[in-house]
Amino acid sequence: MLALLLSILSNHAEEKPLGWLDHHLEKIENDFSRNRFYFAFSGACRHFDKEHALDLSESDLDSISGMAPGFTIDNRTADHVARTILLLALAEKDQDFFLEVLRALLGAADIREAVVLYSSLPLFPHPEELVSLAREGTRTNVVDIFDAIALDNPFPAAHFENDGWNQMVLKALFMGRPLYRIQGIDTRANGTLATALANYAHERWAAGRPVSPELWRPCAGFVDETIATDIARVAATEAPGQKEAAALVYAHPSNAEKLAEIKESVEPFLKEIENGNLTWDTLGNSLEKDG
Amino acid sequence: MKFLDSHVHMVSRTTDDYQRMASAGVAAIIEPSFWQGQPRTHVGTFQDYFNSLIGFERFRASQFGIRHYCTIGLNPKEANNERLADEVMEILPLYICKEGVVGIGEIGFDDQSAAEEKYLRLQAQMALEADLPIQIHTPHRDKKTGTTRTMDVLEDVGVPPSKVVIDHNNEETVKEVLGRGYWAAFTIYPHTKLGNERMIEIMREFGGERIIIDSAADWGISDALAVPKTAALMKEAGVTLDAIETVSYRNPLKAYGQSGQLKEADWAETEGIDPTDLFEGNTLLRGGQDIGKAMSGEDLVIS
Ligand SMILES: [Zn+2]
Repeated sequence: MLALLLSILSNHAEEKPLGWLDHHLEKIENDFSRNRFYFAFSGACRHFDKEHALDLSESDLDSISGMAPGFTIDNRTADHVARTILLLALAEKDQDFFLEVLRALLGAADIREAVVLYSSLPLFPHPEELVSLAREGTRTNVVDIFDAIALDNPFPAAHFENDGWNQMVLKALFMGRPLYRIQGIDTRANGTLATALANYAHERWAAGRPVSPELWRPCAGFVDETIATDIARVAATEAPGQKEAAALVYAHPSNAEKLAEIKESVEPFLKEIENGNLTWDTLGNSLEKDG
Repeated sequence: MKFLDSHVHMVSRTTDDYQRMASAGVAAIIEPSFWQGQPRTHVGTFQDYFNSLIGFERFRASQFGIRHYCTIGLNPKEANNERLADEVMEILPLYICKEGVVGIGEIGFDDQSAAEEKYLRLQAQMALEADLPIQIHTPHRDKKTGTTRTMDVLEDVGVPPSKVVIDHNNEETVKEVLGRGYWAAFTIYPHTKLGNERMIEIMREFGGERIIIDSAADWGISDALAVPKTAALMKEAGVTLDAIETVSYRNPLKAYGQSGQLKEADWAETEGIDPTDLFEGNTLLRGGQDIGKAMSGEDLVIS
């Protein structure tokens, strides 16, 4: 992955910062100093563009996800990728020492550094050692940091236990984050989470607040009497995405009988679902776009 | 006119100060790391302090439209606790090259002890290695000797004077500091440092080249508006607007801009103010703030 990221970055950055990065990669390999590594990791923002997202080709993105399924640098800046490369170089050199440095970096990270560290987790060795760091990260109230772990990142689905996973999904809703960008949102659904989500929806309704249509996505496979009543309410709610969400829950293979009473109200959407024009992802995407 | 207060300890200030600074045209500030009145006993408290300088304080300032930068370093007072000082030296490299960190500071002498010299030297070397400006705190006691000794140490390490701001100057130190090629900052601080009427006399004698004024407002009796107030007083005393802008904005921008982390474009949207409005207490409406009211009843003279 290091070589791939480096070759992609080489096509998108100037010679001068690339020379700076090469120098530091060489030092990591042959003449490592902890202080120099710290200067390089934090100082990458002083050499590479930190303002514009890299304009990557489909084939670049495909080769990255081919090598590390689910991992992406889509929408990341050059300094972000340079920092990831430095981390990978250190991880290749010495895995145990890498963990120690990673902890030190996290303890001192500013927001953009934390985003690099968390979003690069799927590339690092010893994932079992990283789970507690990632869970600690999800306790943040800084949206960018939370997003770096929870969204567009395969790490939580692959390594979190159910309690960590469930907390993360609930918190994503609390923070108004788009659930469709949580990788594994369907495969990691579980009954405990469905109950917690339904309880959260009841709280919101009691307070007269809107409930995100995406909340029902992880509930679709766990419809009991309570959730069936909830979905009937969603199907009758006049707000963007509500009826679509009810239709998507209805269309889940296990639900046609349980939700028979809402069939009529969701009927108009079933064709869209059948032909693939309406999915949880398209719904989440359009809700995110309309903010 | 906009102001850049290159020395102010906002962690000790209230949101009222932020509001009044923003209304008075302070567009950007630099917060040096210093001691906090009470000696720290663990490296963890240093680390949390540094984290707040690059994190929460930056965010807090941004809520008032003020750009917040900082310098990171081990202050001379706490350098005397050598066990702790060594631990702090270990974490400094994690911070000094971060975004928005414009130098190593404030470092220098307090008691002028051997330990203070040791850590001044080590941090000067680190600044050289990382190619960063240095913000120097000069001692309150035996200032003249301490200032000379600081410059001797820096030159011994090989730091170019053009990358160093020597702060807390007075009439006794300014000549040598400018003569040796350093930036000379003056802290307008009531009672213990320099009043702004004296500052005007210094401007008359030395002009504005390489001179900077700052507030060093902190947890003591100090004035977060020292820079705009002094600018207003200077205008009243007949100092040219150009010279006022040089010492209260352009020079600190140039000196700390050498870090590459401080750019005018960062606060392009901030509106400037006319120091006359500050002085005469005229009503100036800006972003819903009444600057006349904000400044009314305030004596511009800081002595
Ligand atoms: Zn200070």
